[in-house]
Formats: sequence, C-alpha cells, structure tokens
Amino acid sequence: MAADPATRYPGLDDGARPLRRPARALPLLLVLLLFVGGCSREELHHAQLFSFGTLVDISLWGASSTQAEHAERIIQEELQTMHRAWHPWLPGPLTETNRRLQTGSWFDCPPELLPLIMQAKRLYELSDGLFNPAIGKLVALWGFHSDVPPQGPPPEPAAIQQLLNQHPGMDDIAIDGKRLRSRNPAVQLDLGAFAKGYAVDRIIGRLERMGIKNAIINAGGDLRAIGRHGKRPWRIGIRNPRGPGVLASVELSGDESVFTSGDYERFYEYEGKRYHHIIDPRTGHPAAGVTSVTVIHDNAAEADAAATALFVAGPDGWYPVARKLGIKYVMLVDDKGGIHMNPAMAERIRFEITDRPEIIYSKPL
Amino acid sequence: MTSSLLTRSDWLLLIASVALLPWLYGSFWGSTGGMGEEVHIMVDGRELPPISLSKDQTLTIQGSIGPSVLEVANHGIRFISSPCQGKQCIHSGWHTHAGEFAACLPNRVALLITGRESRYDTFNY
Repeated sequence: MAADPATRYPGLDDGARPLRRPARALPLLLVLLLFVGGCSREELHHAQLFSFGTLVDISLWGASSTQAEHAERIIQEELQTMHRAWHPWLPGPLTETNRRLQTGSWFDCPPELLPLIMQAKRLYELSDGLFNPAIGKLVALWGFHSDVPPQGPPPEPAAIQQLLNQHPGMDDIAIDGKRLRSRNPAVQLDLGAFAKGYAVDRIIGRLERMGIKNAIINAGGDLRAIGRHGKRPWRIGIRNPRGPGVLASVELSGDESVFTSGDYERFYEYEGKRYHHIIDPRTGHPAAGVTSVTVIHDNAAEADAAATALFVAGPDGWYPVARKLGIKYVMLVDDKGGIHMNPAMAERIRFEITDRPEIIYSKPL
Repeated sequence: MTSSLLTRSDWLLLIASVALLPWLYGSFWGSTGGMGEEVHIMVDGRELPPISLSKDQTLTIQGSIGPSVLEVANHGIRFISSPCQGKQCIHSGWHTHAGEFAACLPNRVALLITGRESRYDTFNY
C-alpha cells in the first residue's frame, strides 16, 4: 500500500513488460471490498443470554465493542439478581416475604421488592383488580409454580372456590415506609405477570446511563426498544399466536415497549382441553375467550401488567380497562381468530399474512 | 494507446470487476426478503460455528439435559425432538426469518437466525 505515487499510475510507466506486471488496481479494489463488506454490519451488536427463566435477546446499534461487552455483563448481573429476588417458589426474598405476609404482622420489606410491590398495588387499583399478583395461591393450585408444566387434572372446583372466597388482593397489603403487612392471610405474591417488564425497564435504565442510545431488550418475546436502527426505526415482527410465521409487524422509534400475553406461553392439556397460566382472579380459572393480547406502551412494567389485565378482561371488556390504564395501542386476538384493535393501533400494525383477518375496531382510546 | 495506460492484467481485472457487479450488488444491497441464511446455535452460553440454512440436514445438539434434534429444510429450522417436559421448542415450529430466535430453555439450547437483510430486528410473541 505504501506505493510511490508514480508507480500507482500505469500511464506514467513505460509499458515494456505488460504481461508480467501485476494489476496495480488490485490492492485498492481489495481494500474497497473489505470496506464495503465491513462497514454495514459492525454497527449492530447482538447477544443472547439465558437468564430470568427465559432467553434474553439483546440488540445494540451504534455502540462500541467495549460498550457492548460491558453492557452484556451488566445485563447478565442484573438479570441474575432480579431472578433470585423475585422467584415465586425458589427460596429467596419473595418466598420469605410471602411467608411473612401470612402472619399478618408488620415486617421490613426486602428493599429490592418494595418498589415492585408499590407499583403492582397501583396497577391493581387501575385495572380494577384484573391484574392481581396477590393470587399466588391460585397460580400454585393450578400447578404453575414449577419448572415443568403440570400434567393435570385441573384442581377441584371446591379448592378453587375456597381460595376465591378469601378474596386475596393487592389492597390487602398495607405499606408503612419500608414495612409491609397483609390484612389477609390468603395473599401470596406471584409477580410473574409483571416482573419481566420491570426487569426490562431496569436494564434499559442501566443502558441509558452507560450512554447507549439505541437498543432492544427482548426477554422471551416481550421487549422494550430505545432509539433506532441507524437511519430507520426498529422493526418488530409479531408472531402468529396460532401457527407458525409472522402475523404482523410494527415499527418502533424513540422509546416503546411491545408486550404480548398469550395462552400458548405456559399451558397444559388434559383430556383435550387447554389450561393456560393466565388465571382470571374473578373466576379462579384460566381466563377464557382470548388467544393473545399485544400492547404497545412506553413503560415495560406497565405494558406487561396491562397485557395480562386486558387478557383477563376479554374481547368484550378490554376497552375500559385499557383507558383506565392509559394504554394507547392494543391488539387482542380472540379465541375465534378475530382481531380487536383500537384505530391508532390499526394505523401502526402491518399485517404480514396473506388472508386478512376479520378486524373489529374499537372506539379511539 | 490504451495498453500504455492500463496493463493487460488491469483490463482483465476491469472486465472481471464489471462482470462481478451484478453479483456484488445482490450480495451487498440486494433484498433477501428478510429470510434467514445462517443459524447460530448456542449451547449453555457457548456458540457453535454457524450453519447454513440452504443445506438440508438434521442436527443433534447435546444440551444440558440431553440431545435436542434440529431439522434444517426449506431455508428454515425447527426443533423435532428435545428432552424437555413442555416441548414448547417443538410447538414453536419452523423459524425462517433473519432475527428470529428460539430455544429449548430446560436444555439450554438456543438458536438465532441471521441474514444479510433482516426484515425484523426482533420478534414479539
């Protein structure tokens, strides 16, 4: 490459030995090719981590390699800490909190749980109790407090009714500074409908403080995206809740979360009937009538709780709940394949399937 | 006249370059419709060498609790068996798009599809 300018221009040579001279443009062409090949892809860093009981997929755009490695390490640490603190059945801060909630006495709340419990109480109120992380006993009764899916049979109706009669709710938990107490011994916390969103928010906060401006944190299909993919927005494919492939796509730029609650995430089949993990706190049974609910919202924890609450509310009840929760974009797929959306969501969603589904539009949110 | 400006090798190179242009264009700017080209498989945090999606084959990957069997066909990949209880990895079906990922969590086997042009950056489900 350190060629003298005079020898770089063939026209300045005598041309006496044309056949034996190597092509002088070759090094330049190679360098050009390497440059073209290398420039377009280095901007995106992609990594995957097993943590939090799921696969966490990380995309960073425009970060340096050092920044990306540092970010991955921090994300791994954060996820491990939160997984341990919030696990509903492995012994740790949450199981200890649940043990003390049963006593009815005041106790010091583990500091890593207090902000979650406070936010969960607020979302419980706003959703009229449809998002209710106090029904841990019901979730356990259905067999979902285990790493392996239950095999059935479903619990006895009498056992479900007995828990329902005790009406465990987040409003039974009193908070006084750092102390907690439950007025209802049936209250047992299961933050499963909420913790993933909360974790994603925390990680995005850490990334922003590190100076990372463009990123997607996708925890097992639920995600928050900040910034953009270079000159274009981030593009998200929404998987078809029934069958393979992509149902729709949506573009995100700025700071938005996309969360979906579906009956296919955790379930078992018993005698030909499907029992999934989203329990309706009003009936004590898996919520009926819905296949999936997708919510776009700025905050991931709120999006996570809202997707669950709207799933429970069902095709006929989701609209007022979404309004109270301040959610602006909703898509609900009912158990007959009908797609319910508010008009603003319909403007953003692009269907990627050949047979356009039946769409039921709601009033504006 | 021209031979004094460019050597014969230069001409050959120039012709070859022009002939290569369509391929280069397709290679760097062409659309693949967001379909995946390679799959990266990760076992318990270790990444295996990438595998092409254009060659049909069946792969057996030793995971944390046993073998996961993956089928590569029609430019896609799917789990066909895995030693997990829930079989969610198998239920998730075929994965064909760049940016798609799937996993058998109990066996700690994950896969990510990559391609030159991703129609989607990631997937929500």
